[in-house]
Amino acid sequence: MKKCLLSLSTVLAMVMVCLSIPEETREDWPRLEQPLLITSAGQSADVQIAGVLAKKAGLTATLSKAATEEELGNIRTLVLVIGVSMKGLGVAGLDLDQETSRVSRLVDAAQNQNIPLLCLHLGGEARRGTLSDQFLTAFLPFARMVMVVKSGNKDGLFTRICGDQNIPLLELERTIDAVDPLKTLFQPDNEPE
Amino acid sequence: MRKKFLIKKRVSSVKKILHVLSAIAIFFGLFACQSNHIEIKKPPTDRHQPYNYVGHKGMVVAAHPLAVQAGLEVLKKGGNAVDAAIATAFALNAAEPFASGIGGGGFMVIFLAKEKRVTVINYREKAPGHAYPSMFLDEGKVKDEWRRIHGLAVAVPGALAGWTYALKKYGTLKLAEAMERSIQIAEQGFSVSATFSHINKDEYEKILLNSGESSPYLFEGLPYEPGDVFQNPNLAKTFRRIAAHGWQDFYNGDIAQSIVEAVQNKGGLMTKEDLSSYSPIEQSPLKGTYRDYSLYSIPPPGAGGLHTIQLLNIIEHWPVRSWGFDSPGYIHHMSEAFRFVFADKARYLGDPDFVSVPIQQLISKEYASQIASKILPHNVQDSYPPGPIDKDLVNNHNTTHLNVLDEWGNIVSLTQSINDFFGSGIVPSGTGFLLNDHMADFSPLPDSINAPRPHQRPVSNMAPLIIFHKENPFLILGSPGGTRIFPSLTQIIINVIEFGMSLDEAIEAPRFFSYSTQGKARSLFVESRIPPEIIHSLEELGHTVEIRDAFDKFFGGAQGIMILSGKKIILGGADSRRDGAGEGY
Repeated sequence: MKKCLLSLSTVLAMVMVCLSIPEETREDWPRLEQPLLITSAGQSADVQIAGVLAKKAGLTATLSKAATEEELGNIRTLVLVIGVSMKGLGVAGLDLDQETSRVSRLVDAAQNQNIPLLCLHLGGEARRGTLSDQFLTAFLPFARMVMVVKSGNKDGLFTRICGDQNIPLLELERTIDAVDPLKTLFQPDNEPE
Repeated sequence: MRKKFLIKKRVSSVKKILHVLSAIAIFFGLFACQSNHIEIKKPPTDRHQPYNYVGHKGMVVAAHPLAVQAGLEVLKKGGNAVDAAIATAFALNAAEPFASGIGGGGFMVIFLAKEKRVTVINYREKAPGHAYPSMFLDEGKVKDEWRRIHGLAVAVPGALAGWTYALKKYGTLKLAEAMERSIQIAEQGFSVSATFSHINKDEYEKILLNSGESSPYLFEGLPYEPGDVFQNPNLAKTFRRIAAHGWQDFYNGDIAQSIVEAVQNKGGLMTKEDLSSYSPIEQSPLKGTYRDYSLYSIPPPGAGGLHTIQLLNIIEHWPVRSWGFDSPGYIHHMSEAFRFVFADKARYLGDPDFVSVPIQQLISKEYASQIASKILPHNVQDSYPPGPIDKDLVNNHNTTHLNVLDEWGNIVSLTQSINDFFGSGIVPSGTGFLLNDHMADFSPLPDSINAPRPHQRPVSNMAPLIIFHKENPFLILGSPGGTRIFPSLTQIIINVIEFGMSLDEAIEAPRFFSYSTQGKARSLFVESRIPPEIIHSLEELGHTVEIRDAFDKFFGGAQGIMILSGKKIILGGADSRRDGAGEGY
């Protein structure tokens, strides 16, 4: 009997804990507008994935892998696709320092012009590591919203940073799962579906 | 007193448990001895933990478990090492399509146990007949994209011709029989690994550019995620077509037409005549020695074997064992040797059918001694010129890897590739296979010894190896990894012979790499497992160190088989930097 009660109370406690974990709801999501400028932070090919996701979501977007602040022009949302690829950096003719300062300048300019920042991490666990993490810790805090393919957040880095900064975080099972949330985020009135 | 009693009681309980456990172990041990089955432990959950596959009759080691199964099935049914190697190669085309396949080429080293003879089959791709030395220059500047993601990047594939040649001459299976399992894999599909997904994402831009969102290598226009099921019905259809119509269909028939159309649509120069005139060649192996070991590999245009021999010759001059594994002295000397060897590669290596390659000089002990004497113990050099070669002595003779050992002692060590992951990204319409970008292995500089010329084979870094110890096969080894191939293989060999590591320990051990271009040292790349204090010491010696991931596929994906006690124990080692696997029986 005692054992039974103990098990029941354990289950109840677990349910209570689960219920107490705050879940991001669409009501918490920011209002974002088009057109978008999609750029890379780290020159991985994930930026191309973001381009196709935006296309699938029917968004008006410009993809510029190594965008500069001059390209912000009439842009209403800056999308930063974070993930370092040494090969990608090589092809772009950039080293890590140059890439970091390019992205810093771009994010600074966007902040000055009140252009919201949407950060995407689409490469999963394989696109984590010392170098990618440097970009994540440097730029996630400036995001208005963050989307991450779940396996990339196994260690909870995204949860920690977004929790600290009160930034809505959406975990995706797969990259394709970003399409619907993107449609919602960029709806004219951004009303929950 | 009570405490003592309790401890005693505990000790006695522990003893009892140990007795019971030992009894169980002895019971199962005896049971295992009575049965003839080889107990194969499951690989550890942590795939980076060194693990040697064990066999007693034969072994297959390759870059994907399904490919290993394909080869092992053939061996168990009585096929020989060549049969199993070709079945494994076809299966790799289906299961690891981004690294090799019928759209590419390669080399195999075969040891025929009965004849005690080693031979090489060279099925490296060739330049199209309309190739010319300056084809990668645009207004005097190198267009790198033409070399990698353009129709001009595609060289005439040799894999299918090479596999067919090997089967006909040294195998027992018909081509269609060797393809059975690969058709099944392509049709039924398999769960995508994290490695596959990561590489698919890395190469997404190229795939999108050259085969579009409907590419068989994308899922709903996006890269595959780990756990997705990857099927390739078009590849199965192509394989069935080859099984029914013969390999000639690839070089003369409808498949040839699809290849030419795909290449020309992307700006390439390949013609149907280029395909129909392709043939593999059989060559004598290149032989070198390291202490009392003999090493057999491929001759040029394969550079990997030659440079592995050259590096081992240089290392013979150093007390590497007393320096210690991953000591600053060892890494420094090795890196300096890599840089001198790369200078030789750029200066002297080409296709020996077209240019003179001083093979015997480059692999001579005297030449190695000259290089060893140039290497300074306490600092990096200002420049790395190629060594002086006596031109009068020049003789004119003359990326996946798998190994198979059969029950008769025949061996195949096979390395092949489509060059970059997902090759050129071009998939001939409806065929499901990727075309290579091996024209990038030619130098883009028209005055290079390795500049593209009609029907010439580009220099390759591949180095399938078979190492003998006192006449007995001892180690079968190879790796993908481009320019890192021969530096990585050399490290594995030294890990085994000098540092006494087990096979997979040697494969998984932290690696490093450096090279030189135009006489100048390039960075020293190291896996992050090399301790910071060693890296600091290397920086003090003048190296610019770049730290890569802990187990970085940049350094290759080596596969090995080690034969111990006259073939009584066979060990297989497969690199966890990729999806390597092995199985013995």
